Amino acid sequence: MNSLFLIILILMGGAVLAYLAKKVNPMLSSIVSFVAIASSAVVFFLMTDRESVILHIGGFELQWGLNAYSWVFGAMVISMASLASLYSIAYMKGKDRLGYFNLNFTLSVAAMMGILFSMDWISFFIFWEIMTWSSFLIIIYNGISEGKIGIKYMIFSAIGGYSMLMAMVITKSQIDSFLIADLISNFSSMSLGLQGLIGVLFLIAFSVKSAVMPLHVWAPRAYADSPMSYTSIFSGLLSKMGVFGLGIMLISVFSKTTNGNIFIYSEVLAWLGAITGVIATFYAVIQTDAKRLLAYSSVAQLGYIVVGLAIGTKLSVMAAIFMAIMHAIFKGTLFMAVGAVERQTGTTDMTKLGALIRKMPWTFVASLMSIIALAGIPPLGGFVGKWMLYESLITSDHYFLIVMTFLSSTAAFLYSYRFLFGIFLGQEEKEFEDVKEAPAIMVVPMMLMAGSLFFFGMFPGYIFEPIAKGMEYLGMGQVDWNMTVLSNGWGDHVDTLSIINSILTVVGIAFIFLGLKNRKKTRYVTTKDIHTGGEIPTENENLTYAVDFYKPFERAIEPAMKRKMDFYYNKFGEGIETLFDFVRRIYTGNGQTYAIYVVIFLVILLIFSKQIFF
Amino acid sequence: MDNSIWISILGFLATVVLAFTVGVFYGGFVRKITARIQNRVGPPVYQNFFDIVKLYSKKTAVNHGWMQHLAPALAITASVTSLMFIPILNGQGWIWFENLNFKGDLIFLLYMMVFGSLGMALGAGQTGNPHSAIGVSRGLSQMVGYEIPWVLALVAIMMQAHTTSITGLLEYQNANGTWMMFESPLAFIAALMAMLGMFHYAPFDVPFAPAELASGPASEFGGKYLALMMTSGSIFAFVKLVLIVDIFMGGASNLIMLVVKTFLLYMVPVLYGIVSPRYRTEQSIRYFWGWPTLIGVLGVLYVVFTR
Repeated sequence: MNSLFLIILILMGGAVLAYLAKKVNPMLSSIVSFVAIASSAVVFFLMTDRESVILHIGGFELQWGLNAYSWVFGAMVISMASLASLYSIAYMKGKDRLGYFNLNFTLSVAAMMGILFSMDWISFFIFWEIMTWSSFLIIIYNGISEGKIGIKYMIFSAIGGYSMLMAMVITKSQIDSFLIADLISNFSSMSLGLQGLIGVLFLIAFSVKSAVMPLHVWAPRAYADSPMSYTSIFSGLLSKMGVFGLGIMLISVFSKTTNGNIFIYSEVLAWLGAITGVIATFYAVIQTDAKRLLAYSSVAQLGYIVVGLAIGTKLSVMAAIFMAIMHAIFKGTLFMAVGAVERQTGTTDMTKLGALIRKMPWTFVASLMSIIALAGIPPLGGFVGKWMLYESLITSDHYFLIVMTFLSSTAAFLYSYRFLFGIFLGQEEKEFEDVKEAPAIMVVPMMLMAGSLFFFGMFPGYIFEPIAKGMEYLGMGQVDWNMTVLSNGWGDHVDTLSIINSILTVVGIAFIFLGLKNRKKTRYVTTKDIHTGGEIPTENENLTYAVDFYKPFERAIEPAMKRKMDFYYNKFGEGIETLFDFVRRIYTGNGQTYAIYVVIFLVILLIFSKQIFF
Repeated sequence: MDNSIWISILGFLATVVLAFTVGVFYGGFVRKITARIQNRVGPPVYQNFFDIVKLYSKKTAVNHGWMQHLAPALAITASVTSLMFIPILNGQGWIWFENLNFKGDLIFLLYMMVFGSLGMALGAGQTGNPHSAIGVSRGLSQMVGYEIPWVLALVAIMMQAHTTSITGLLEYQNANGTWMMFESPLAFIAALMAMLGMFHYAPFDVPFAPAELASGPASEFGGKYLALMMTSGSIFAFVKLVLIVDIFMGGASNLIMLVVKTFLLYMVPVLYGIVSPRYRTEQSIRYFWGWPTLIGVLGVLYVVFTR
């Protein structure tokens, strides 16, 4: 049997089985879901050559296949989804409606794989909508004001979905084919207007999922209010489907426009990505809830990825896809860590939590590694992506974009620290005295992912290789890469191995000198036993600094934060309402008024008859 | 054993010792100069050296957990690793103990240089001292401020020389026979203004603010921890100075030139600081996002239009 078909079949079947298994035992449902995803992962990685399959359904010919580009995303999706579903077994234990949850969880993984396998727009669209619906159903699973969040997500997804549908129909009417490859090859022969129209429509469709600036408003709440085991793939993987589509569009379609250069609005898209990065980072800084913080940070990180894709040089595309993979890993880990904290303590409010480092050390280590990668600090994988992005921006003369991205990634240090401090460091709280480490089944996926960040920081070449193949498939020509040395167009380079060696050596020497020698001689004291200027804090005295953590920074950026994008959408909505209100006044429901309209219409016809009819 | 390994280890040690000595004595000079301006006698210039030796010999009694143990180690890692990537002495085509000079570039250094502050911040966070947390929050906020003009300045000179590596910038200045500070003066001014923030002297000493925060993040660190942090701070001051000398002032070909250039450069934040009161954090951020950023933008535009 064909492997692609088999994977989709296993996942779809697994989804249904997981739903049915709930009737037997709720736990079994999660396990079935995990087994289905893990076994399809095995099938995926055992696949040796690129297979394809043609299905005939209802007069349509659906083509599925796997190419080097979609293999990169496929490997990322299926391996991270396996870990997330393993984590989900423990995280969702004891929650109700597990069948419903696991059905949708497995279904969205199936839909993502389907999107990656699709070679024609019909199956692409079908899987795209399955993905949208299954994620929508999970957003409303928690029932926290589901009306508002779910509907907002649905409206934006619908805008994206319809634009895609429209673009597909236009494509079909022009070139009489639904194949993606045909669009790529025929794009240059279309008129400039059509190229622009199709381009904008597809860009809107993909930008919604990858949360680019004016279309991002659904993302923060949707990420924050879904169950964390799902958010780790929602933010980590579902958003990457938008990146996947943007990649195809920006690299292989727009580069074939008739006016030669890369599409004119890829500059606009790059700037939108950069502005998304800055604004979303600022919002992440002022959040007090850890989930919201991560959600805004996801939007910001996707902004960088869009910048890289839109610039469209070899290095920047490599950087963007590398960052997409890294973002999936570290943000997935962080959401899992928050989920673990939420499960063990019952809250994710950073003003209440504190000093969990001694209670949940493994969760802390996983979060620390991911945060280092998120902030782009050298030894870990996040740095590699950031470095390549900056180098590609500067070598392609985007001097102000580099400053924008740098502003947002420096401001990212603020929320990175806030996250670690708010949850794991700071004053010990009485409430959380008896908190225990999360179960091993949750810790193991987190630690595996955090470890992979370290590994890919040392040997980024293991990811460069498939990405380079994918980019060659998309028509970027020969892409050079090296296992441990990063280099830019000007011939400057960075050697990741030397960096790691240097850092590990010095940390090692200093830590042996300090830590090991001192560890036994020093005595652990509580966080109440500190320098307070001579006063001894009493038992109930509150020494926590957690509320308004970045107040000075908030004051400094106040002018930029006055208006939320939501404000404009709400105004737009009100405007539309007023318009319809006006329309309603015309239709008064009174026969007399209608008679007058008819008379007025005839009079107008009479007066202007010459201009109209002759 | 291979001979080159011993030479590189020797180079590593020599560089660290040089950076440490110069950094510590600069710290002493600053104390002396401050004292003279405030009409005091002041401690001898080698006082900081004595302080460090004394602190190293002290025993530490208490700790707040392993992140606190690790923090000074991370701080010194950032200083020493950054030092390894910066050419200390160089001339026409030669570099004194190249260490890892050819293995990294400016953008890497930008990130490497915040590594230590974040590590320190984590250690300070674990102690639970509210002063430390406030200090960290202020320090990180201010960093967002001064990094913007700093990056603008770096972008300008990287565009000018068409390279992102420090050795490349040195070669460019050697080949052209001028210093970067004369070729892109606006970028140099922006970098100089950003440097005021980087050195955390008044009016930008908000994170440590001795009068309000009891020296902020460092307040729970004593004994060996403090000694290691002072060492790291001295080396780091040297790193920042040599970096600016390298990329804007053509590097230095002998020790005397190195000391003269770095010392003159160091006096800018120090002398500006001694006579200034302290900003509030948001004032400090807004300061950096005002004139320095504008000058930085002009510097980039200048390079773009004259290149």
